[in-house]
Amino acid sequence: MSKLYRLLCQWAIVLLLVLSLTACGSSLEEDVTTLTLSGWQSSPVEKQLLEQLLRDFEATHPHIKVRYEVITDQYSDVIKTRLIGDAAPDIFYLDTLEAPLLMHRGVLEPLDRYITPEFDLKDFQPAMLNAFKYKGKIYGLPKDFSTLALYYNTEFFQEAGLSEPPKTWGQLQEYSEALTRRRNRDRRIQRYGYGMVPELTRQAFMIRAFGGQFVDRKGFAAFAQPKALKGLAPVIEQYQQARTAGIPSDTGASNVSEMFGQGKAAMVLDGNWAIPYLQETFPRISFAIAPVPTINGKKGTMAFTVAYVMNKQSTHKEEAWELISYLTGKEGMKAWASGGLILPTRKSVLAELGYPNNPLYAPFVAGADYATLWQAGENLSLVTQNFNNQFLSALLGEQSLSEAMKKAQGTANQEIKASLY
Amino acid sequence: MPASSLNSEASRSKKTRSFRFSPSLSGYLFITPALMILGVFLGLPILYAIFLSFHKVEILGEMSYRFVHLRNFTRLVDDGRVWIALKNTAEYVAIVVPIQTFIALMLALVLNAQIRGKNLFRVVFFLPTITSSAVLTLIFMWIYNADGLLNHFLEGFGLPTYNWLGDPNIALKSIMIMNIWASAPFFMVIYLAALQDIPESLYEAAKIDGANGCDRFVNITLPLLKPVTFFIIVMGIIGTFQLFDQSYIFSGGSGGPNNSTLTVVLLIYQYAFKSLEMGYAAALALLLATAIVLATLVQRYLFKEDMPQ
Repeated sequence: MSKLYRLLCQWAIVLLLVLSLTACGSSLEEDVTTLTLSGWQSSPVEKQLLEQLLRDFEATHPHIKVRYEVITDQYSDVIKTRLIGDAAPDIFYLDTLEAPLLMHRGVLEPLDRYITPEFDLKDFQPAMLNAFKYKGKIYGLPKDFSTLALYYNTEFFQEAGLSEPPKTWGQLQEYSEALTRRRNRDRRIQRYGYGMVPELTRQAFMIRAFGGQFVDRKGFAAFAQPKALKGLAPVIEQYQQARTAGIPSDTGASNVSEMFGQGKAAMVLDGNWAIPYLQETFPRISFAIAPVPTINGKKGTMAFTVAYVMNKQSTHKEEAWELISYLTGKEGMKAWASGGLILPTRKSVLAELGYPNNPLYAPFVAGADYATLWQAGENLSLVTQNFNNQFLSALLGEQSLSEAMKKAQGTANQEIKASLY
Repeated sequence: MPASSLNSEASRSKKTRSFRFSPSLSGYLFITPALMILGVFLGLPILYAIFLSFHKVEILGEMSYRFVHLRNFTRLVDDGRVWIALKNTAEYVAIVVPIQTFIALMLALVLNAQIRGKNLFRVVFFLPTITSSAVLTLIFMWIYNADGLLNHFLEGFGLPTYNWLGDPNIALKSIMIMNIWASAPFFMVIYLAALQDIPESLYEAAKIDGANGCDRFVNITLPLLKPVTFFIIVMGIIGTFQLFDQSYIFSGGSGGPNNSTLTVVLLIYQYAFKSLEMGYAAALALLLATAIVLATLVQRYLFKEDMPQ
């Protein structure tokens, strides 16, 4: 019995110790508010940059502490699930694609009443800001944006005797022929002239080039119309007949940047996020960047943007606004953008940092004026899923393009209709 | 089952209830905690899922339920992706379960034989099972890569190479190969335990009667393993019906390329967490549960004669 008694005493002491320690911990942080911030990270450098920015914020706002959490996989699913479970962070990244759903369901805090004239809302690029407006209210402030531009390998261009990047889509196809290299032994292609992503996210502007649309006004898929097919046809043709275009999985790469970096594609369309990735991971390749070649004589590209939004359930809204306004204000955005990773959404910061004159970034900046913004109502992710599914099968030659697109459009619209009851 | 029914019959016939009831009462008391835990974590979720399947649920923002009769179930019939998922899953079950059961038996027989380095082989064969399936999938994705190990290997022997991950006709088979490799050793262990339970004397008797190795295997080993085979096939079917993580990681959650790796559980996940249609997802989950129950009942019927009563 005495043994048991001693054991109990020991446990009681341990328990007391633990309790007193935790009590100490909490008494230290009495008037400090802790904000939570969630996002994804496109590169380790980006995370370091944001953490530095957050440390600066904490230094100038001693009453606020920020807990930053990176969600690495299936970001939007995780955020939605946490919103449902009332466990979402105070502030989080929101992509244009998911914005309509979250704004419509009323889980975001409208920011209008916090925005002061000094914040200078007009400084933001209007198209990027509009992506986060719903029924006249602003729900998010875009932190940065990206467009697509043509990356081309200058070494391969020299080898093939090409001096300039292609200006039109027809040229791109011709160049691809000269740049593709086939292995003799088994006819497996060693290097593709053009590396591409068979997804709506990257192809939507092609649909727009001939006046088509991917989603109609009511939010239904519309990419099987003849005008839309015209834009998609060259891609399929180049992949199947000319065999001068490849997709990442053909070469064992997981995305086009990797494919380009490994020298398995001489040209790819990619966003500016790929610049630091290529420079760090593949320092030996020499590349240049040009605007996306014109299709049907029209300029076109995709634009992506991400905003900081505030959770409606947040209990520290004033503090959350302090952080958002710091991060998207002129000073904060300048610090954020000067790392060279991202393009700022404020026109003044963009000009101040000289992005429009930087040969690497100029094509991306120019693209912002005519780009197709990656947003089209609440059903876009469903539409995209069906498009990707069938477009790939058309690309692989299992069915014709128009057949595949009709099927994808039919399935998508049927699913949208089926969910309306 | 037999013991308890005998008990209750006995108590009814004697009519001395108060005396006979107390031991069974204490029995019930003992299982109450387990029943409560099962009720909260197993029973309630099942009831809630059934409740959800008859409702249209808005879950993000303002929570709301709307009774929609059988709409969720009629929608199942018209949903093309449900049929693709069912077909894929059925194909997967039909190919994986027999092969993995067969391989498990073969491995167990090899290990049961008196060979040198038996312990080492046991460890080596069992390794795939104790590896996390997520890690396994990632490793296999490297192996399956268009420029990966497997293609280099095939190329070295002059065999045709495949786009194991990107080709819709191959993608599901890639997952099958991986899963058979990973789960057969687990069932091997169960077979091994059963094999060692078979008394040596039976074999000796058969030998004296002039039965050769093949006869002994067919007439002694296989029949005595029948209950274990039933268990292994049922567990295999349940496990394969619930295929999720491998195809999720393979396709990045999409079930592609071209729906070829779409399984029922992946579809449930997509509807529940991507489209936030909890009611419809619950209806799908009930469909899957029904399919598994049916498959198990068919098994029971087929193995009935040899089941221990």
